[in-house]
Amino acid sequence: MQTSAHALELVEVEKQFGPVRAVDNVSFSVEKGEFFALLGPSGSGKTTLLRIIAGLESAGKGSVHIGGRDVTRKPPYARGIGMVFQDFLLFPHKTVGENISFPLKMKKMPAARQKEQLDWVLELVRMKGFEDRFPNQLSGGQKQRVALARGLVARPDILLLDEPLANLDRELRKEMEVEMRRFQAEIDIPFVYVTHNQEEALTLSNRVAVMKDGRFEQVGDKLELYEAPATAFVASFLGLNNTIVGQVTAQEGGLSTIDWKGIRLPVPTPEGVGVGDSVQYYLRSEKMHIGPLEDTPEGADATRLAARLRDIIFKGQYSDYFVIVENGEEMVISDVPDIKGITIGDQVAVSWLPEDGFAFAAKGDR
Amino acid sequence: MAAINSKDIVLRAIQVLLLVALYIFLYFPILFITYVSFVDNIIWPFPPEWTLKWYARLLSMSDFHVGLKNSVYIGLCTAVLSTLFATSAVIGLLKYRTRWRGPMILLYISPLFVPGLLIGISTLMFNANVLGMSGKLASAIVANTTEAIAFSFLVILAQLVRYDWRMDEAAMVFGARPAQVFREVTLPTIWPAILGAFLVSFILAFNNLEISFYNLGAIPTLPTIAWGTLRHGIKPELFALASVINLLVFSIIAGLFFLIQTGLVRFGYRGE
Repeated sequence: MQTSAHALELVEVEKQFGPVRAVDNVSFSVEKGEFFALLGPSGSGKTTLLRIIAGLESAGKGSVHIGGRDVTRKPPYARGIGMVFQDFLLFPHKTVGENISFPLKMKKMPAARQKEQLDWVLELVRMKGFEDRFPNQLSGGQKQRVALARGLVARPDILLLDEPLANLDRELRKEMEVEMRRFQAEIDIPFVYVTHNQEEALTLSNRVAVMKDGRFEQVGDKLELYEAPATAFVASFLGLNNTIVGQVTAQEGGLSTIDWKGIRLPVPTPEGVGVGDSVQYYLRSEKMHIGPLEDTPEGADATRLAARLRDIIFKGQYSDYFVIVENGEEMVISDVPDIKGITIGDQVAVSWLPEDGFAFAAKGDR
Repeated sequence: MAAINSKDIVLRAIQVLLLVALYIFLYFPILFITYVSFVDNIIWPFPPEWTLKWYARLLSMSDFHVGLKNSVYIGLCTAVLSTLFATSAVIGLLKYRTRWRGPMILLYISPLFVPGLLIGISTLMFNANVLGMSGKLASAIVANTTEAIAFSFLVILAQLVRYDWRMDEAAMVFGARPAQVFREVTLPTIWPAILGAFLVSFILAFNNLEISFYNLGAIPTLPTIAWGTLRHGIKPELFALASVINLLVFSIIAGLFFLIQTGLVRFGYRGE
């Protein structure tokens, strides 16, 4: 197998914990300079997968290649990787400088080169002057930077990040997201980033793999995932916040009509779905519009529902409008704030284009 | 107001009195022994006539020299062995999760529940009848180690439950081999616990009478000599010996306290 082209390649990796298959036949590769996100809910196997790449967990089956070398049977210290841990895991008895230089010391690098690398990485993460502090004298954001610096200092073949922003507050997280993209662009080391936060994954990465039950649901460019989710799970996980489940009553052209608790809606026909089958239809709130009931819809193809406005949550550049449609179900629409004077309790019209939503054959009953 | 005040004062006085009584109860015998080791005649007269002759005599008795040497030897060997065993045991139990953890912990600390006398007699019987090595320093060391492991195990366990083993994983990812992980990350964090266990084991074995006595036969240690001497009546040299040992133990503890207070050595975890 030719693997030398990839910075990281996993081939049919499996991991079993007792009766649970934590990682199930996963194959993917990451190229040099790429920012790759492993996105999934807790228990989806993403952290196990990362630990297998790091060598902290052994792969039951399959192989792991880093920089073209087969490292499947190699211990963590022989893999040439860097890692950033969720709780930072800085060594409490070592100074910032000693913490960051640790990988270099383990490589027995000459002191002068160590100093050089340390200066470079301190510059990169903007932590110059903190070398002699101890980790307990740092703020959360500073610890984060030190953890990143320690991961990058030896210029590893790949940097693994295990939910590194999960313990930071929102402000700091935004700041670190920007910083991390900057580091990554500057140093050309591929990042593999584990997170359960879809926003983080979409903000930071080039490519995203969505994981569920140890399997990849979809791997691809982040825009591709966002614009064309392959499965119902991906659609729901990537923030498609309106879920509509109904039975197909008629089909015409590319569209099926579904019965959603008494409301008939046109949706794109999912593959292999006929009359009588159940369909899950996901609508992204920002693709929908809201307006006064008497407004005319913007297009003839638009689906239009009458609804009662229950609440408005102001979010800054847009607002979330919560409405109750005629069958009693709730929908959320993100639109510009302050639309034509509609207020809570008003009768409103909600509209969208059928092809802006994603329809999937529903698994199981319903 | 005044009534409450006087009631407070009475209460306070009782508290102080109780505390003083407690300290006298605890420390008077020790202080008394130190006192009598410096006086010419322990029965009377008062004021006492100070003397160092008991210490001089203690120094000149060759039994005590041999005994001291043996005691230190037993103490050191026991401390080294039990610390090694206990450290490995605790690390193994904490690092590698097993459902036998509970029973294994119980097994390690079970010597605590066995009277020292029984440990002494049973190891004597085992060593003499099965191994054919009675009356040797080595068998006293092994027997003392049995008991000291239990204490060391508890001391180390109490500290190491706080240690985050993912720290070891982090070190390993950054290129540290297992031995380097231990030297660079684990040991610098847990060494105070190990030192504590070492000192406790040393003091236990150094002062031990009943375990050592049965295993040593004719070989003297400080406690066995003291025990033997008692049969010929209480001699002031014994008080001098007791004072010296007390001073030794006290200075070890005082030394540790000094190191902690001055921050010359950082004990334990520089937590997050």
